[in-house]
Amino acid sequence: MSSLLVLDNVVKRFGGIVATNGLSFHVDRGESLALIGPNGAGKTTIFSLIMGEHRQNSGTIKLNGEEISNLPTHKRIQKGVARTYQVPRPFSEMDVAGNIRVGMMPDNLWQMITRGADPDGELAIARSVGFRDADLSRKPSELSMGDLRKLELARTLATRPEVMLLDEVFAGLTVGEIEQISHLLAEKRKQGLTYIIVSHDLRALEPLVDRAVAMTFGKAIAEGSFSDVMDDEAVRSAYLGQ
Amino acid sequence: MPRLLLAWAAFAVIMLLLPQVVSPGTLRIIIFANFLAIFAMSWDFISGKTGYISFGHPFLIGIGAYTSAILSYRFGVPVSLSIPLAVLATMIGGTLFFLPALRIKGTYFALVTLAFMELMYQLVQVIRPDLTGGTRGISGIKTILSGAVPNFYLSFGLMFAIALALWLLSRTRIGTALDAISMNEEAVSGSGLNTTRLKLFAFMVSALVAGLGGAFYAHYLGSIAPRALFDINFVFTIIVSALIGGSSTVIGPIIGAYFMTFLLEYLRPVLPGSERYLVYGLIALVLYVYQPKGIMELLRKLGVRAGGGRTGRAGNV
Ligand SMILES: Nc1ncnc2c1ncn2[C@@H]1O[C@H](COP(=O)(O)OP(=O)(O)OP(=O)(O)O)[C@@H](O)[C@H]1O
Ligand SMILES: [Mg+2]
Repeated sequence: MSSLLVLDNVVKRFGGIVATNGLSFHVDRGESLALIGPNGAGKTTIFSLIMGEHRQNSGTIKLNGEEISNLPTHKRIQKGVARTYQVPRPFSEMDVAGNIRVGMMPDNLWQMITRGADPDGELAIARSVGFRDADLSRKPSELSMGDLRKLELARTLATRPEVMLLDEVFAGLTVGEIEQISHLLAEKRKQGLTYIIVSHDLRALEPLVDRAVAMTFGKAIAEGSFSDVMDDEAVRSAYLGQ
Repeated sequence: MPRLLLAWAAFAVIMLLLPQVVSPGTLRIIIFANFLAIFAMSWDFISGKTGYISFGHPFLIGIGAYTSAILSYRFGVPVSLSIPLAVLATMIGGTLFFLPALRIKGTYFALVTLAFMELMYQLVQVIRPDLTGGTRGISGIKTILSGAVPNFYLSFGLMFAIALALWLLSRTRIGTALDAISMNEEAVSGSGLNTTRLKLFAFMVSALVAGLGGAFYAHYLGSIAPRALFDINFVFTIIVSALIGGSSTVIGPIIGAYFMTFLLEYLRPVLPGSERYLVYGLIALVLYVYQPKGIMELLRKLGVRAGGGRTGRAGNV
C-alpha cells in the first residue's frame, strides 16, 4: 500500500511554545487514523500545518509523494486534502446549499461566471451527510450543533478530498447526533475515504479507525492498533492521567 | 427570476417616463443621483461584497475623470476613444490600488486606500499642472450631450446598464464566492479557491465601473477640480449610499444614492454649510443601527408584510 500523506520530522514553534516537536507519521490510501492526545497536545496545529494555514519551521509534508509545504492552502485542497474545524465556521449568510456550492466551485474565474451551480450535486452531497431536502435552504443560524458539524463535513466533502482531516467532529453533540455522524463516517470509510480523525470521545473513535497515533507536547508517544495504543504505559500516564 | 426581471423592466420604464413629469431642475438632481449610484455600485462590488473597505474610491474615479478630460481637452482625442482609454487607465490604477491589499487586511486597508486618495490630490496639483490644471482643475471639457433631458437619459442608461451587468455577474457563482470572502475568507481558501485572484477580479470590476463613471461624469460636468473630487465628504457620500441602501446587493446602492442625493438637496436650503454632512451622517447612523442591511431590507420587509408573506425571499438583488 502506498502512503497517501507522510509527515516527516515536522517542527512548529509559536514563539516559545513548541506545538509540534519533530513529529512523523503517515496515512495510507483508504486508511483511517485516529490522532489522540490531551488538550494542547498539538493535534489541531498539525491539521493547520497540513493545510498550509500555518507553516512548519522544519520537516516535510508529502501528499502522494509530492512535497506540499510550499503550496498555498487553496493549491493543497486542489491536490486532495481538506479539513473540518473544531469550531464550525460556515458561511453565515448562506444557506446549506450555498455553503456546499462554494466547496464545489472550480478554481477558475471563467467557469465560475459561465457555468451555473449544480443543484443536483449539492443535494447529493447534502443527503450523503444526512441532511433532508428541506434543509438545503436553511441558514447556519437555524442549525443545531449536530447539523453544523454535518455542514462542515458536506463543505469539506464538496472539494472531493482524497484525505480528510476531521477535527473534533463529535464535540458538543448529543448521543443521538454522535451516533448519526459515526454511522456516516463508517459509511464513508467503507466507500474508501481516507481520513485522520481527532476526538476526545475515545469510545466513538475506536470503531472508526484502523490505527491510532498518540501524542503529547507535539511528539508521538505511541502508534499502533487503537487498543494497543490505549494500553500503552506512556499514553495512559499522559492522556488518561493514570 | 422572472419577477425580478419584471421589477427591473418596471424600474426602467418609470425612469424613462420621468422627464415627462418632472422639471429640468429635478432632472439635474437625478443625473447626479445616477452618477452617485454608479460610484456606490462600484464601491459595493469590492467593499460590500468582499468586506475590504475602500476609502479611496475617488482615486479611481479621479483617474477615469482626469484621463479622459486630459486626453480630450489637451490632446483633442475624441470622447469615443478617450473614455475607453480612461477606463483602461483606471483598471491599471485599480491594480496598483489593490497591491497593498495583498499584504494587509481590515482597518489598514481602509487607511492605505485613504492615503491613495490624498496622494492623488497632491500629485494632481504638483505633477504636470500644465496637464491637470493644478489646483484650479480643467474647465471647458467637451460635453457629450447638452440639456437636462438628454443628459438624464445618458446618465440613466449608463447607470442602468452597469446595474444590470453587475446584477447578472452577482448571480453567477463568482458573486457567491465574493460574498463568501466577506463571511469567512479562510474557508474560501479552504474550499480550494484562490482568494487573491477573486479579490483582484472584484477590484478590476470595481475600477472598471469607477473609471467609466468618472470619465462620463467629467464629460457631463464639463469641468473637474481636485478639491471637489478628492474630498472626504465625497467618499463618505459614496460609502453611506451603499451602506444605507443595502450593501452587497445591486439595487441597494442605487436606492441609497437616490436617497442621499435628495436628502442633501432638501437639506441645502436649511443648512447651507457643511453641517449638512453632520445631519446626514446622523440620519445614516440611525438608519444603519436600526437596519444594518439598509433601506433595501426595510422595503423588502414592507413588501413581505403587504404581500401577506407571499413575496418570500428577494434573493440576491
Ligand atoms: N496560533 C497560535 N499561536 C500561539 N500558540 C498556539 C497557536 N495555535 C496553537 N498554539 C499552542 O500550541 C499548542 C498546541 O495547540 P493545539 O490547538 O494544536 O492543541 P490540540 O491538541 O488541538 O488541543 P485541543 O485538544 O484543546 O484542541 C498549545 O499550547 C497552544 O496554546
Ligand atoms: Mg484542537
